[in-house]
Amino acid sequence: MQTISTDVLVIGGGATGTGCALDLAMRGIRCVLVEKGDLTHGTTGRYHGLLHSGGRYVTKDPQSARECAQENAILRRIMPHCIEQTSGFFVITPWDDESYGDVFVANCHRTGVPVQEISVAEMLRREPLLNPRISRVFEVPDASADSFLATHSVALAAREYGADIRTYHNVIELIRVGDRVVGAVVEDLRSGERIRIDCAYVLNAAGAWAGKIAALAGVTVTVVPGKGTMVAMNHRMVNTVVNRCKLPSDGDIIVPIHTVAVIGTTDVHVPDPDVFGIEPEEIQFMLDEGEKLVPGFRQYRALRAWAGVRPLYKDKDVASDRDIPRTFKLLDHEERDGVSGIFSIVGGKWTTYRLMAEQTVNEIARRLGNTQPCRTASEVLPIPKFEHTRHATVTVSPDPAAQTPHYWLGKPLALVESQHAAGDLICECELVTRDRIQAAIDAGAHNLDDIRRDVRMGMGPCQGGWCIYRTANILYERRCADGLSHVHTNEAILHFLQERWKGLTPVLWGDQLRQARLDELIYYGVLGIQRLRALAEPGGGLVTQHPAIATEYVQA
Amino acid sequence: MYDTIVIGAGLAGLMAAIGRAERGEKVMVLAKGHGTTHWTTGCLDLFAEVDDPIAGIIQLTDQRPHHPYALVGLTMIEQGVARFRAICEAAGYPMVGNFNRNLLLPTALGALRPTAFAPATMINGDARQLRDGRPTLIASFGVLRDFFPPLIAANLRAQGIAAEAALLALPPTGRQHDFSPVILARMFDQPDFRARVGEQLAAFVRKGGYARIGMPAILGLKHPTEVVRDLQNRAGALIFEIPTLPTSVAGMRLYHILENALLSLGGRMQLGGFVQRGEPLKETLVAVFSEAAAREQRHTARRWVLATGGILGGGIRATPEGHLRETALDLPLQTPDSRSGWFAARFLAEQGHPVFQSGVRVDRSLRPLDASGRLVYENVMVAGSALAGFDPVREGCLEGVAIATGWAAGQQ
Repeated sequence: MQTISTDVLVIGGGATGTGCALDLAMRGIRCVLVEKGDLTHGTTGRYHGLLHSGGRYVTKDPQSARECAQENAILRRIMPHCIEQTSGFFVITPWDDESYGDVFVANCHRTGVPVQEISVAEMLRREPLLNPRISRVFEVPDASADSFLATHSVALAAREYGADIRTYHNVIELIRVGDRVVGAVVEDLRSGERIRIDCAYVLNAAGAWAGKIAALAGVTVTVVPGKGTMVAMNHRMVNTVVNRCKLPSDGDIIVPIHTVAVIGTTDVHVPDPDVFGIEPEEIQFMLDEGEKLVPGFRQYRALRAWAGVRPLYKDKDVASDRDIPRTFKLLDHEERDGVSGIFSIVGGKWTTYRLMAEQTVNEIARRLGNTQPCRTASEVLPIPKFEHTRHATVTVSPDPAAQTPHYWLGKPLALVESQHAAGDLICECELVTRDRIQAAIDAGAHNLDDIRRDVRMGMGPCQGGWCIYRTANILYERRCADGLSHVHTNEAILHFLQERWKGLTPVLWGDQLRQARLDELIYYGVLGIQRLRALAEPGGGLVTQHPAIATEYVQA
Repeated sequence: MYDTIVIGAGLAGLMAAIGRAERGEKVMVLAKGHGTTHWTTGCLDLFAEVDDPIAGIIQLTDQRPHHPYALVGLTMIEQGVARFRAICEAAGYPMVGNFNRNLLLPTALGALRPTAFAPATMINGDARQLRDGRPTLIASFGVLRDFFPPLIAANLRAQGIAAEAALLALPPTGRQHDFSPVILARMFDQPDFRARVGEQLAAFVRKGGYARIGMPAILGLKHPTEVVRDLQNRAGALIFEIPTLPTSVAGMRLYHILENALLSLGGRMQLGGFVQRGEPLKETLVAVFSEAAAREQRHTARRWVLATGGILGGGIRATPEGHLRETALDLPLQTPDSRSGWFAARFLAEQGHPVFQSGVRVDRSLRPLDASGRLVYENVMVAGSALAGFDPVREGCLEGVAIATGWAAGQQ
């Protein structure tokens, strides 16, 4: 077995884990990060994409609200290419308690969340499709954020600082010598090869999976996987994040992001972060709630539904899972459980990932005798190659008039047209060119789902009808010489079709049901992919059917 | 006032309209747009899951008496297909094959797909010929995004076919971008363009000794038979087309052939007319209303054929609440009991997804019935994928059922 040695082994390739890896590497601490799937494969890649102003937490969780308000300003500075300046409204609809408006404003002031009441007329001028029966509107600095791109940017920076980031590496075992964790055995899911990693500290940043990792070290961490279901609608009926002005509950937020508007979310306690389903009632409920914010909401085309699991840390008995604080906690298992050499960072949310990393690494650095200060709040993050470099959503300019706040499809379209790349559009719904697909493949994508996360291939209305075939072929042509064969390519197509199907069934009606049938006609009828099952098997550097990364959705 | 108005312009609707027009009736096809013909392979699938389609159909009609094939009977199937082939033949675009043995034609992934009849432009790709050991070249242009030779060739090799892949240089076209199958097909209709392609093919044949060349089904929109003959002569090898991703040039050819046949019989076509409701008088449909150009239009006829397709064609639509509706006349539908029964857990599950068997239940004269088996309209017939109780994609009978039931509806 190959053995590598490092200072800190970070487990988890979501926002928190990559954030920690960057912070460690910037301070000159050696680290290896392992993630069982792709970067953002867990909860980071399955949330609605809200950069919190803190407004949602001002009443129930003021600590989180304060943290969000601070981090919101920092992230806008260090990752402008990932953030769309949508602004945010908290609105009081006829279904909400009128009196909460004044409480909300007072609590915003108390927690440092910038807030300003605007008139309903001004709201309707900016967002004409919102419900005219809304009675009060408060504006806060919410925004939407591309969590895929952000995590890739953080990982890219971490690598530049020397971090060793390994995706599709699953932790099999944490090695304990007496009461000390001294390393781990991980499996490279692409080759099945096992690697031993010796380290001074293991940092468990596995989010909703943190309990499973802690158990490998023989300690108990109770993480309540709080399932949140979201639906992406094919229209940006609003360009502003819209929240119901009330205590957080189901279906009370619409986030415009990229080409879609996402409505979320639910919060259902599930026993296992790998086993959950999306119930038709959840979808219907959210459409009904959407209707209260945007009359006619049901008539828009729903593209897909998905669920993420919040990594809520349950410290002691709390009445409802929504009452678990959304703030984070660093667990020193030596102090807590008498097992040294391991920390767990639990709870928190995407918006505060950097702060979580800072506090975690402060503690680990202190133990390692490293006195370098944290610099993640001031260094601007790099942009990965597969991203359009010229459609950065925000121009970093002090002059507000020079800023281009919104991401809209017209911008990449203008770019595609100026480069005469229309013929090379592989994903026509999301305007993804052949160059960007190839860059994502060359950057190390391990299956079609990775490419989807990198460049949004297959995320538009056709849900991959055309681009799965095209992208699979480009992948084959690009990697053929590296041992990727036709059987692996066939398997990649079969795998991805099934991945898409899981997110589609809850929202299939109207045009999207028709689309699903067209995709069936294409893959079953015209291409006959099912006839190639005997010529399909995992491998060739692609990870498809491995049980460690299979999310076993329960069919609704 | 028409004798017959056919709602829907797919294979089923056009075959019904042609049948009526041949009897001297005043016929109109009224449709929202083109049918799903533009998305399919351009082949005629009768029954794809068995070697012998007719034997399979006979067995099927015993086991499933409500299957559209069982309702119309074998004679109507054979007559409809024969008439369809005769129309194609007369248009210089023969559909080759037979009723008792499926062809096995390569797909754009290199799978081998059974079908009963295929255009002559595809027929040299039959796997039984390709397995003769002589080398086959799969060739296309790099600019075409809907057809990739290397994977096709690799999958064919894995199935015992000596296939290799090549990319051709695109002859100068004066065009910078957007090379869709349809645009390339129009280029192939031009002799200069295909002469340039033919030269390249000939060079590959000289070098590699290829007996056959498989190309995307883009070899001409108007004159495909002539284009393929010309390319074969220039290349010195047999040429066969392989269907691409939609838009399907081969499907468009069939549509245009049937459309021309109908027009030459004096039939009318009105596209862009989305039928939204009917006007009943007891069990008779008196008129329909279509919405087009921001106004409602009333159409009257003595007899009607509903051939608006299933969920794929847009004839059946589902609401977010989980109800299915027949869009033109609001006919009763046979559907799964509840939304929870619509889908299988796996996209490619063997049995398919029950929701796609939703459709209108009919009597032996193809007239619509309600849930209790009572006749809804005595002067309406339903044809094609709007019919209940079968899955045209999974059973590989999309064109077969469309042609058989469309033809039957035109003869009753």
